[in-house]
Amino acid sequence: MATRKSVRVADRTAQLLITVGGLGTIASLLLVFAFLVGKVYPLFSGSSLSQPQEIDLSAATQPVTPDTKAPASKTPTPEPLHFATDEYLNLGWIAYRDGTLRTVRLDSGETLSRVSLIPDGRELTAWSFGPRGEIGLGFVDGDIQLGKISFATAFLQASSDDDAAAGSGDTRVLQLDEVPAELTGLRIGDVARYRDGMVEKTPEGQLRLQELSVEMDAPVTVASGVPIRLIDRSVPKQGADSLAATEEVLALLTDEGLLRVATVRKVYNMLLDQTTTKLSARTLQLELDMQTQQPDRLLLSGLGDNVYLAWNDGRLQRFDARKGVDVLLAEEVNLVDGGRVLTSLGFLVGKTSLVAGDSDGGVTVWFRTKPEDATTIDGAVLSRAHHLQSGSSPVRSLAASPVVRTVAAGFEDGSIRLYHVTSEQLLAQSTTADQQVPRLLTISPKNDVILGLSHAGLSRWAIDAPHPEVTLSAIFLPVWYEGYEKPEHVWQSSSGDDAFEPKYGLWSLVFGSIKATIYSMLFGAPLALLAAIYTSEFLNPRTKARIKPTIEIMASLPSVVLGFLAALVIAPYVEDIVPQTLSVLATAPFALLAAAFLWQLLPMSLGIRCDWLRLPLMALAFVVGIWLATIVGPFVESWLFAGDIKAWLDGQTGTATGGWMLLLLPLSALLVATVFSLFVTPVQRNMANSRVQFVLLDIAKFAVGSVATVAVAWLISSLISGLGFDLRGTLVDTYVQRNSLVVGFMMGFAIIPIIYTISDDALTSVPESLRAASLGAGATKWQTAVRVIIPTGMSGLFSAVMIGLGRAVGETMIVLMAAGNTPVLDMNIFNGFRTLAANIAVELPEAVENSTHFRMLYLAALTLFALTFVLNTVAEVIRLRFRKRAFQL
Amino acid sequence: MISNTEQPQSSTTATAVAQSGDAKLNRLEMITRGEHVDAVIHAELAKCASVLDVNDVSLWYGDKQALFDINMIIPDGHVTALIGPSGCGKSTLLRCVNRMNDLIDNVRLGGDMRLNGDSIFSPHIDVIALRKRMGMVFQKPNPFPMSIFENVVYPLRIDGERDRNVLEEVCERALRGAALWNEVKDRLHESGLGLSGGQQQRLCIARAIASDPEVLLLDEPCSALDPIATGKIEDLIDELRGDYSILIVTHNMQQASRVSDFTAFMYLGHLIEYGPTVSLFTNPKLKETEDYVMGRFG
Ligand SMILES: Nc1ncnc2c1ncn2[C@@H]1O[C@H](COP(=O)(O)OP(=O)(O)O)[C@@H](O)[C@H]1O
Ligand SMILES: [Mg+2]
Repeated sequence: MATRKSVRVADRTAQLLITVGGLGTIASLLLVFAFLVGKVYPLFSGSSLSQPQEIDLSAATQPVTPDTKAPASKTPTPEPLHFATDEYLNLGWIAYRDGTLRTVRLDSGETLSRVSLIPDGRELTAWSFGPRGEIGLGFVDGDIQLGKISFATAFLQASSDDDAAAGSGDTRVLQLDEVPAELTGLRIGDVARYRDGMVEKTPEGQLRLQELSVEMDAPVTVASGVPIRLIDRSVPKQGADSLAATEEVLALLTDEGLLRVATVRKVYNMLLDQTTTKLSARTLQLELDMQTQQPDRLLLSGLGDNVYLAWNDGRLQRFDARKGVDVLLAEEVNLVDGGRVLTSLGFLVGKTSLVAGDSDGGVTVWFRTKPEDATTIDGAVLSRAHHLQSGSSPVRSLAASPVVRTVAAGFEDGSIRLYHVTSEQLLAQSTTADQQVPRLLTISPKNDVILGLSHAGLSRWAIDAPHPEVTLSAIFLPVWYEGYEKPEHVWQSSSGDDAFEPKYGLWSLVFGSIKATIYSMLFGAPLALLAAIYTSEFLNPRTKARIKPTIEIMASLPSVVLGFLAALVIAPYVEDIVPQTLSVLATAPFALLAAAFLWQLLPMSLGIRCDWLRLPLMALAFVVGIWLATIVGPFVESWLFAGDIKAWLDGQTGTATGGWMLLLLPLSALLVATVFSLFVTPVQRNMANSRVQFVLLDIAKFAVGSVATVAVAWLISSLISGLGFDLRGTLVDTYVQRNSLVVGFMMGFAIIPIIYTISDDALTSVPESLRAASLGAGATKWQTAVRVIIPTGMSGLFSAVMIGLGRAVGETMIVLMAAGNTPVLDMNIFNGFRTLAANIAVELPEAVENSTHFRMLYLAALTLFALTFVLNTVAEVIRLRFRKRAFQL
Repeated sequence: MISNTEQPQSSTTATAVAQSGDAKLNRLEMITRGEHVDAVIHAELAKCASVLDVNDVSLWYGDKQALFDINMIIPDGHVTALIGPSGCGKSTLLRCVNRMNDLIDNVRLGGDMRLNGDSIFSPHIDVIALRKRMGMVFQKPNPFPMSIFENVVYPLRIDGERDRNVLEEVCERALRGAALWNEVKDRLHESGLGLSGGQQQRLCIARAIASDPEVLLLDEPCSALDPIATGKIEDLIDELRGDYSILIVTHNMQQASRVSDFTAFMYLGHLIEYGPTVSLFTNPKLKETEDYVMGRFG
């Protein structure tokens, strides 16, 4: 008979639906994966520099303005000292050795203005140019002069405009009778010269004028008649608006070898409408022959607490200049390897790390660390933290980015390289046209352009380095961050501080996830598996029918509730009863076992009739175990943990024995049980004449065994601790309220139901015939479970554990609320952690779209995805192995 | 009513009583109506040494009685078959012998069984030790998912035997006893599940005889097998005769007549007639038995 048409249609439809569904699932999974990869890919897509754009500075020099007294000579240009640009890259200024300041257009190289910084024509002997335009000049007569060079922004507006008053608070508005025609014709993005500045039409249609603003304070005499040799300035604290709040430090070295570190105070005199600079100085007379040993460089750290003197042979002296102490030599280090010459030295952003370039092209980065064994007066040691990839010719110039920890180096052969310091990555390299030596380099305020000044003119490279700090090794290997003692895994994505460097050590989060998983599985998996074995093999079906749904209901507890409980109820409570909590781990099993042994005392017929009492009695035994713990706890604390477990955990008191004891107790119990079953049980069989005797012997055995367990654990612990091994610092350490123990406990609750249900199903689905075969052969229920049922159901049990594991790895709310969320890298069960999942939940809302941080969070997600994927794949492979073994046909 | 003694004489008494009631009414109808009938037990059984005595065994599944005052002896070193229509309590009776019924909820027992004189139903008995004295083979072959070797030595393993030599010796003996040795001796360490159905059932028999049981319980051991495998098992049972006392439940009249020395016919939880197989099949004392073995009902 032919198959009916309707049957065939239904068959086809079902097949189609299943195919579509299956493919759809795979497709959506791949789509998620592709999406994540797409978001993450730019992190690793590399950086580049554009081809240099050359700007000829000798062209179209503007005549010197009448009020400038500097000679507008055509004779060889004096040595340039510093070069800076505005944030829009329209203007640049160059300060020369002769004291002139030249403003240039960055597009054509046209000179816009030329002024002298030194009005009275004194001889400049020392200079410093800070990252925010603060300058310090020192003169041959012992005077210094401070000032600030900045770019003033104003918006041009015709007075006739109706909305003339619209200029908002901060922006300066320049009212003009009439906007010049050449400006009104500008298109968006175009620039034109206006007065001594540049005008650009902004995308909003405004005309933005930028002009150089030079404010020089009145000269101050610091060393009458003695030339100032070196000078540097720092502004540790930039006042919001009022001058009073600004804190400034100045360091200088005179020709007589006197090192002065001064706090600068500017006092505004209202009557005279004048600001006077007051210096309160601390001095140190250097024991140097200034004729032959004059230092070549002086640098003052950003906080004003360290002064560095460097010589061209690489020698560097660090002076402790913290507030309130005398300025003293702290240490001397050598910045370059033997035979090389220090050719360039500067600060990274934040003015804490030093970058040194040498005559062999080496670029190294140094900062202070505070190792415990430091012998310097301030406890700090200058360490060479990063060694950047060397160039092939001497370093001529260095420029630090004003926002990130990248540094550009210019080399003698005309090449320039852009490095990211922390990740020690060479981001990109290029060369100037005609291999001109880049004498001065600068990175623009927005970190988008490198400008190099050579004899021929300016070279301009556009930087394309959106995520310079990210490399695979920087994410998964220890990285040496500024101020850290050694390379470490650190995740710290944000901070209130401007000069803060985000730290994306993803490994610490992966570690957190692993730690959370391990501790919760350690607690949850054995309980769930034992419960499954118990209910499937020992419990009668009617009781099980009530218990199983109860456990399953636990799965529907929202994890946020569990997290809440853990964080606000359990964590504070457990903190007060740590010894008791730890004791439960021993007393609860003890009470259960004791109850089981005592149960045997019942006459067999009574025992069979009271079988239904077993479960309630077990619960009772458990409660008794907890009660025992409350009694035993204080004794344990005084015996093992010197009376105060938290102090003990801190490592302040007591010996290591207690911790080992805690860890070894289960092992010791196992050992004693094995020894007893091998050697004592046969003897017991021979000795016992009746059941009652046998049981009594059994109980005696249990009592002796318990004591033996403690004794053995104590012995081994003492031995290990005597050998000098201590658990503290590894598995246990300082107690933190929100810790892995609490999370493990709570997350255990989250994963128990799922592991339990699946394992119970797996065990129950083992054919009844196998159970009958084993029991029929005279095996006990326990033997049947261990030898037949569990091996047969192993694939199912394994799946159950792996699904629990997957749940634990991805669990978010409980760890978020109860784990403390500090991304620390230790296995200490009494400390918290931060997992990948919790981190994403915490930080995603605050991450700026497409920033490095944002993409790193996607990378965290991808890592989590990969982690669970790998776990599940491995699990599936192993599961199939088990299954093949169990059901090989 | 007959007395609960284990003496063979009582069987004779029972026979006499039963025969007297024969003429009046069909026993099967009486049973259906819930009336009590006595079993007809052939005199030949009285001469046999018994390995297992069944005394007044009754069994209830909850409120439902499944066995009614069963009295019989299982002769030592012989094959005894239990026949009867499906659901008459053959398996239940068999499971009573090794107390596998304990595993079922709500089972109540009455009477007692004695294995070589030791009580089976006594609440003080160590069931685990008891089961070790018997071997059981089930309807469907149920080898463990382990190697052939481990399957056979399982009863020894759970007894804590670790001596490799002992295990190997027992394995070979049991496999030879189960007529499987030649087929599997080269692959003892392959999975027992890789064998054919018939081989698997013989593996189960090997497992059952590995611990040298006092009585071997077979519950329809061939019902899941094809005729050739069934033939082999029947040959095997034939070979085991004498070495072991075997109690076999079977659905198949020919099988019972082929392999057994004695046959018991049960109906709805009652023992109806019990005697040497030859006489039960060729010359039954009861009309009901004759009808059943002729295939006229069931
Ligand atoms: N586990 C059980 N629970 C309740 N009743 C059962 C159970 N096992 C068997 N029975 C009942 O007991 C009677 C005897 O069954 P059984 O011994 O399996 O018969 P047989 O093996 O002769 O076919 C049947 O009526 C059956 O329904
Ligand atoms: Mg049956």
